[in-house]
Amino acid sequence: MRTDKIAIGLGKTVAVLVILAWSLFPIAFIVMSSFKPGQDIFAVPPKFVFSPTVQHYVELWNGWGVFFSGLLNSTIITAGATIIAITSSTAAGYVYSRYSSRMLNASVMFLIIVRLIPPIVVTLPLFPIVNAIGLNDTHIVLMVLYATFFVSLGTVLMRTFIDQIPRELDEAAQIDGAGRLTILRRVIVPLAAPGILAVAVFVVVFAWNEFLFAFIFTATRAKTAPLVISEMIGSIDGVDWGVLFAASTVQLIPVLLFVIFMNRYLVAGLTAGATKG
Amino acid sequence: MNKITEAVPFLAPVQILILSVIVIPSLYVVWLSLHASSFGQSATFVGLDNYIKVLTDPAFLLALGNTVLIVIFAVHLELALGLGMALLFASGLPCRRILLVAVLAPYAVSEVIAVAMWRFLFDPDVGPVTAALTWLGLPMLDWSFEPSHALIMIGLLTIWLHLPFTFIILYAARLAIPKDLYEAARIDGAKPFDAFRRVTMPLLGPAIVVALLFRYIFAFRIFSEVWLMTQGGPARSTEVVAVYLYQEAFSFNAFGTAAATAWIMVLASLLLATGYVFLLRKQVAGNAH
Repeated sequence: MRTDKIAIGLGKTVAVLVILAWSLFPIAFIVMSSFKPGQDIFAVPPKFVFSPTVQHYVELWNGWGVFFSGLLNSTIITAGATIIAITSSTAAGYVYSRYSSRMLNASVMFLIIVRLIPPIVVTLPLFPIVNAIGLNDTHIVLMVLYATFFVSLGTVLMRTFIDQIPRELDEAAQIDGAGRLTILRRVIVPLAAPGILAVAVFVVVFAWNEFLFAFIFTATRAKTAPLVISEMIGSIDGVDWGVLFAASTVQLIPVLLFVIFMNRYLVAGLTAGATKG
Repeated sequence: MNKITEAVPFLAPVQILILSVIVIPSLYVVWLSLHASSFGQSATFVGLDNYIKVLTDPAFLLALGNTVLIVIFAVHLELALGLGMALLFASGLPCRRILLVAVLAPYAVSEVIAVAMWRFLFDPDVGPVTAALTWLGLPMLDWSFEPSHALIMIGLLTIWLHLPFTFIILYAARLAIPKDLYEAARIDGAKPFDAFRRVTMPLLGPAIVVALLFRYIFAFRIFSEVWLMTQGGPARSTEVVAVYLYQEAFSFNAFGTAAATAWIMVLASLLLATGYVFLLRKQVAGNAH
């Protein structure tokens, strides 16, 4: 019996170590390699002890100004997309939670069906239209696209979270003379904050990392950081791995920390999103 | 709320965004798919010609085959891994929250960076994973020349990026199973494996279906991983449906066939979704009796 327990414990430990290595090794490897001096990057077997250097970050700063403007563009676009997505989803989620009619139920179904349309489908008509109205290579196009592909999930999530807020609170505020917008802002939003954060995690991670739309709709002015990194990968004169790892680290660390801090909301959002919509 | 008209301004932003960015453009794609057109030329109605052209194009069929292979290989392996991890976590682990966060980490990683990682780790000359494989006497993945190796790389990369999602869905569902059921099974003399077969699996059923459905639909759209890894090459051998679509539209200017491909993608997603919702309904109804 005891040996059984030891065997199970040992098996579990090995399994956990394998899972940790699988999840974290590629990330740790990139971050570590970005601090390795030139030749150490290519050492076989990989070196885990080396004298760290910021040489690749200096090269990145001096040679890839476009990467830093890409980071700025990514920041602007992510912020814009998140604001559009959370305000519109919260407002709609509020209505879906508090009202019920056949029309509204049908439109929830519609929100769910819309998620079945692959994003690449809409690029076909939108590409010529965006060009025709002179919005190609602007921040606003990506903000709107990123927000739109999350408002259906966002609305369904917000409805789930707002459903948990007692209606009596709305009614009490209404008796005090508050209008709909005031109730939404003063009563619902503070209590639905976990839901708003869950939606925000989805949109921030998506907008910060997205490739396809950025690739199709931006060229120079609104180019995002992932797009610049993809150009480093595809560079014809061979990849400068040190600089690529430095850029990847700079792009990755903020969103990784964000996901780590927000893990509770991410888990809540994923769970509610999969079961409710 | 009293009157439905009051609700309109609250719903308008979401509905306007979805209609103008997704629904109307998608319907316009239907129109495009029924016409022969390219940039700057007037369109002529051709019926289902574009669909026939796409469905008989060997390049499309190869792309479809590759996509189906990646979906089947990646999604099912991912499900098995996610299920194993969910059961492991549910069996009680120390520092569970920290481990959970570690498992979530790949969720934060962009496809672009994941491809950069993979290209380096599996680099034929300097990649540490290649070195490890060689050291173990295993064949290395010659992904830049051998299409099947490239597809394996892309499949592994997809699993790495999306395992957090599958795991969380299954883990949450596993935690939702009441402890009493296991207690009751134990008292009735059930062995751990019986409890797994009679309690865990039936109750996880719906969550497994949901996880599979989402992952089938999203894996079917795969674009960035393939584009960044191989650009569909060598010689279009590793294309997937979305890459085929992109090539038709943006490299060959064939908007009609690209649009037909787009609607084939939408219809495939709808079909997958209805099939699963149907199965799920049947299952739920079956459990109720």
